[in-house]
Amino acid sequence: MTTPLVAMENVTVRFKGAQTVHAVNGVSLTLEPGKVLGILGESGSGKSVTLKTLLRLLPESRTEIGGQVMVDGRDVLAMTPADLSNYRGAVTSMIFQDPALALDPVYTVGEQIAEAIMRHEKIGAKAAMKRALELLELVRIPSPERRLKAYPHEMSGGMRQRAMIALALAARPKLLLADEPTTALDATVQIQILLLLRQLQRDLGMGVIFVTHDIGVAVEVSDRLAVMYAGQIVETGTVRELLTDPRHPYTRGLLAANLHGAKRGERLEAIPGAPPPLNEAPSSCSFAPRCKQAQDACRTSLPPAAALGEGRLVRCVQAEAALQPA
Amino acid sequence: MSLALYVEDGSDRGGAGTPLLEARTLTKHFPLGRGAVVRAVDGVDFTVMKGETLGVVGESGCGKSTTARVVMQLIPQDEGQMLFDGEAVGSSALSLKDYRRQAQMVFQDSFASLNPRLTIEDSIAFGPTVHGVPKSGAILRARDLLARVGLDPARFAARYPHELSGGQRQRVNIARALALGPRLVILDEAVSALDKSVEAQVLNLLMDLREEFGLTYIFISHDLNVVRFISDRVMVMYLGEVVEIGPVEELYDDPRHPYTRALLSAMPSMDPDNRTMEAPLAGDPPNPINPPEGCRFHPRCPHAQTVCSKAKPALTPVGSGARLAACHMEIPGSGHSRAPALEDAA
Repeated sequence: MTTPLVAMENVTVRFKGAQTVHAVNGVSLTLEPGKVLGILGESGSGKSVTLKTLLRLLPESRTEIGGQVMVDGRDVLAMTPADLSNYRGAVTSMIFQDPALALDPVYTVGEQIAEAIMRHEKIGAKAAMKRALELLELVRIPSPERRLKAYPHEMSGGMRQRAMIALALAARPKLLLADEPTTALDATVQIQILLLLRQLQRDLGMGVIFVTHDIGVAVEVSDRLAVMYAGQIVETGTVRELLTDPRHPYTRGLLAANLHGAKRGERLEAIPGAPPPLNEAPSSCSFAPRCKQAQDACRTSLPPAAALGEGRLVRCVQAEAALQPA
Repeated sequence: MSLALYVEDGSDRGGAGTPLLEARTLTKHFPLGRGAVVRAVDGVDFTVMKGETLGVVGESGCGKSTTARVVMQLIPQDEGQMLFDGEAVGSSALSLKDYRRQAQMVFQDSFASLNPRLTIEDSIAFGPTVHGVPKSGAILRARDLLARVGLDPARFAARYPHELSGGQRQRVNIARALALGPRLVILDEAVSALDKSVEAQVLNLLMDLREEFGLTYIFISHDLNVVRFISDRVMVMYLGEVVEIGPVEELYDDPRHPYTRALLSAMPSMDPDNRTMEAPLAGDPPNPINPPEGCRFHPRCPHAQTVCSKAKPALTPVGSGARLAACHMEIPGSGHSRAPALEDAA
């Protein structure tokens, strides 16, 4: 068995302040090299925080991180600042929802990419710029020579997103983290970026963790899916397993809310209510207040993560019951 | 408290089955100086029948929001005319003030749409008091509306916008839009900023309200699944023009304009065994400044021929005939090799 590229074990993230926010509550996940994991969840579910934990991007002074985070055999939580800056970009890299904010407005795209290359490799400015050009070609930006000298504001949204992907790939990372990278794009551009990411992932053999709220997008790029709710992973499985046999009531609700195949004008099976506040760590099922099938057990203790097979976990007391034929 | 109180002069004139809104060659250009002009809306014609929901789709910059703003008369059109239940908007028969009472709008950003210094009941009551309803009556009605959009007035009426979640705020915006008893509600990306599970709740609410108050919706969204779900007819816009308009099932099952086809096939497949392999369109949506001659889609169209860059295709009946598409491939004798032959004069 290969060592996993990413192994998170019972990770908790708390933000301290006037009120403690329990953003991530016991997340365990693994990612094999060269695979794509989609993390699906709504706002406040902890999906972006989980991603940022992998790069230690959360503000150190206000954040308490528990558990273990291993990436490529290294303990991310034990890294010194010097370790971290060698690790960021070279082993793990990230792309964001808004490339206009992620790119520096006062440097050209070429300069930014070349800088990232020179930070991680012993290479001259000229050679780095040549590599930057190759990267722009790799992400299929039209007339790349010209774009190398362009500032971010001179590019369209789709092109900026491609430039950010090129920047993220500058130091040949083994793991690419993608935080809603297509959410701000038109559907016609979104599909181009998704296809590009899929191809780069295959060609470069990268592991990818792709965070999104859009189940359609997750299905388009992922091998496996993890559904997050209130800082916990409530269900994992292959894309096919989650689409054809969703076990957690929240996953089922999300699928219905996607409206794919919904009958026009018929009332939707909407999940009532709203996600819980995260000011205390969950001691019972976080979804129980919104769940139609909730029982007494759901409101008194945390449901165990039922293993239904290789890499198939469901955090619901009825997950296994549903397996038994009636 | 009955709604009828607020719609005394909005009674149905033409009867059911007639158009509630007819937009004729609506045009809105924004000059940029030095001869550059954003042709945001360029000669748009459409009708919305009473009680129906017209979905509007298209990429960013296609003019869907500008169309909504012109329909709402938040910005005046440069050219064109609107008829509301048979009366010209802004004429002596239907003043702008009377029209605005009957047409209301809900925006995407639920927070920016509400005055942060007003409690939500005051926000909802504000419109009716401007239109002459006594304050106490307007507040009573605001509480009634809060209950109808699923917010318990006892708990929520005195709260401020920042004390509500996004979904709750959008319910407030819907209640406010309904406070004047409108007949037409324009929903401009009204559910787009909501989480999926909350979006489903608000869509259910919109369908219930449509039924209960006999509303007509113009529903603008970039989410083609949502538009398919809620609309009776769909209008597809590209660079300020209508390229296809017709009944929702027909348009989704058999799109005739190449742009409609591209837009629909850009939707995620939702099938891991059958993923999208090729992007239907390359590049970004083009800029509406100085759009191309002829058919505006021709530079991105896989079927473009000489005629497409020369002549602008008119909207032509296609499919069942209840649908219109603006494509030379559908216009008999247009000069496109895939156009149907001209029928004999006999």
